[in-house]
Amino acid sequence: MALFPLQANFRGDFVVLLIPVDDGDDMSIVADKVAQHAVGLRVAERSAPKCVYYNGRELPSSMTIAQSGIQPMDWIEVAYV
Amino acid sequence: MPKLQRRDYYDTARDMNWAFSYVSEDEVFPEELSKSFGIHGEQWWGWDEPYKLTYREYVHNQAGKDDGIYSIRSTIARSNLYDNLDAGWKSAIKAHYGAIPVPEYFASIGEARMARFGRAAAWRNMAAFGTLDECRHGQAQIYFPYCLLAKDPQFDWAHKAMHTNEWGVIAARSLFDDMFTANDAVSTAIQLTFTFETGFTNLQFLGMASDALHVGDIEFGALISSIQTDEARHSQQGEPTLKIMINNGRKAEAQKMVDQMFWRSWKLFALLTGISMDYYTPLESRTMSFKEFMQDWICRQFMDQFKDLGMNVPWYWEEHFLPELDWVHHAYHMGVWFWRPTVWWNPDAGVSAAERDWLEQKYPGWNDRFGKLWDVIGDNVRTGQIEKTYPATLPIVCNCCHIPICSPSIGKAPRITTHNGRKLNFCCEVCEWVWKSQPERYDTHLSVVDRFLAGHIQPPTLEGALQYMGITPDVAGNDAQAYAWNGASRLAAE
Repeated sequence: MALFPLQANFRGDFVVLLIPVDDGDDMSIVADKVAQHAVGLRVAERSAPKCVYYNGRELPSSMTIAQSGIQPMDWIEVAYV
Repeated sequence: MPKLQRRDYYDTARDMNWAFSYVSEDEVFPEELSKSFGIHGEQWWGWDEPYKLTYREYVHNQAGKDDGIYSIRSTIARSNLYDNLDAGWKSAIKAHYGAIPVPEYFASIGEARMARFGRAAAWRNMAAFGTLDECRHGQAQIYFPYCLLAKDPQFDWAHKAMHTNEWGVIAARSLFDDMFTANDAVSTAIQLTFTFETGFTNLQFLGMASDALHVGDIEFGALISSIQTDEARHSQQGEPTLKIMINNGRKAEAQKMVDQMFWRSWKLFALLTGISMDYYTPLESRTMSFKEFMQDWICRQFMDQFKDLGMNVPWYWEEHFLPELDWVHHAYHMGVWFWRPTVWWNPDAGVSAAERDWLEQKYPGWNDRFGKLWDVIGDNVRTGQIEKTYPATLPIVCNCCHIPICSPSIGKAPRITTHNGRKLNFCCEVCEWVWKSQPERYDTHLSVVDRFLAGHIQPPTLEGALQYMGITPDVAGNDAQAYAWNGASRLAAE
């Protein structure tokens, strides 16, 4: 378990953010960690599930950062499904 | 004894060019201080400035200009003019004062380098005046805000800003170091005087002076007008330098320098001037939108100059530059407002109902792209959840322009690349091109996010970042109108 910095933005937001996650986090946790810096702050909240996109593909919510191939400071996008 | 007319002695007095015999040209004009671009000796002697001026005339003119602005300052000091200015406008001038006065001194270093290492005597003569101009601009633009310090501690940043690591200052300093503080004489003439001053600031200062008079800020208007008259003269060092380069087969090199610096200048211009014109200037005083100003003044002027000189429009003009006129400063504005504790002025949200109508009219689609986000912010203000209108992390900044990486549309990724094992982030293809065109020049410079990740910012929190930036509680930005805009706001969906 180690601190893992990412670049991320929530779809619909206007800026790319520095988001610290943990390499043991799965994608549902990563999505929440990104959302907490955008949803309800600038992006309107919706009751819908969120997913993580990396290199143009949606990652399974149970996949961890360590399993995903994401490198530190890579860019991900989080969006409502 | 009759005095000679200027035309009778001017050329003789200024043309102190000679062929060196005791020293080499490279000893007199070292490449790193005065890059030749392969153009040597007498090839530079045809350099001819369009604006003729003797030292006697210069001193006379400048003394008159200083008399004018300092007497206006002295008169207005006895009034309550400043107190009655719009809060948004006050923010515009605070942002200006933090970003510009000390770099005017930096510019005097660049001008002094041209006054010594410019490759023609006529040029060195003009640059000597430019050196004195920039000192005058630095002095006046520090003195005027100093006089307002008792009214507002944020004016302290007119002097302090450039001595800090505040994020916007890092962006500005990076640009100005590149352009003139750490540039050779020939490149400075092309990039500072031709590209930045002729292309941007000379016209911007005319626009700012006009806006200042519209809002009733006679003091700032007089100051900026006075500075603009100097800019109009010393910016003309660029064109003769460019002509020498073109006439000696160095058009491609000149074009590249212009393309690089126009883009870098544009990004900072959008940050400072874009926000000030479209959000901080009171609605009733806006004579045109930032986009209209760019199209009518900057683009047309720049295009005309390019056509006249046989140069090409920058390669990124259609695909990157023109589209950014529609969105980039709106994104920067939202970022500055949301991260408002990190700036030395109070950002004016500028999104009351009437202002939103104006924004949608000037930028069709604004409500759909940015208004929706302001709706959420407005809801949080209305329901007293102010804590949700503050950031809890840093934005990623571009390794070239050092401004947060913003996006015009969904799913648009930053450009991530690696250089010698170092991961770099760019906001766009053009910033990446600029950086990669001179990696040896930029590679050791760390962005504020690089510094954060390298552990330079301690504690590694937003509070630690504010401390690193030199922001103290008495100057940390807050909403300029105490959120009054929100009472007059309405949802984009309505």
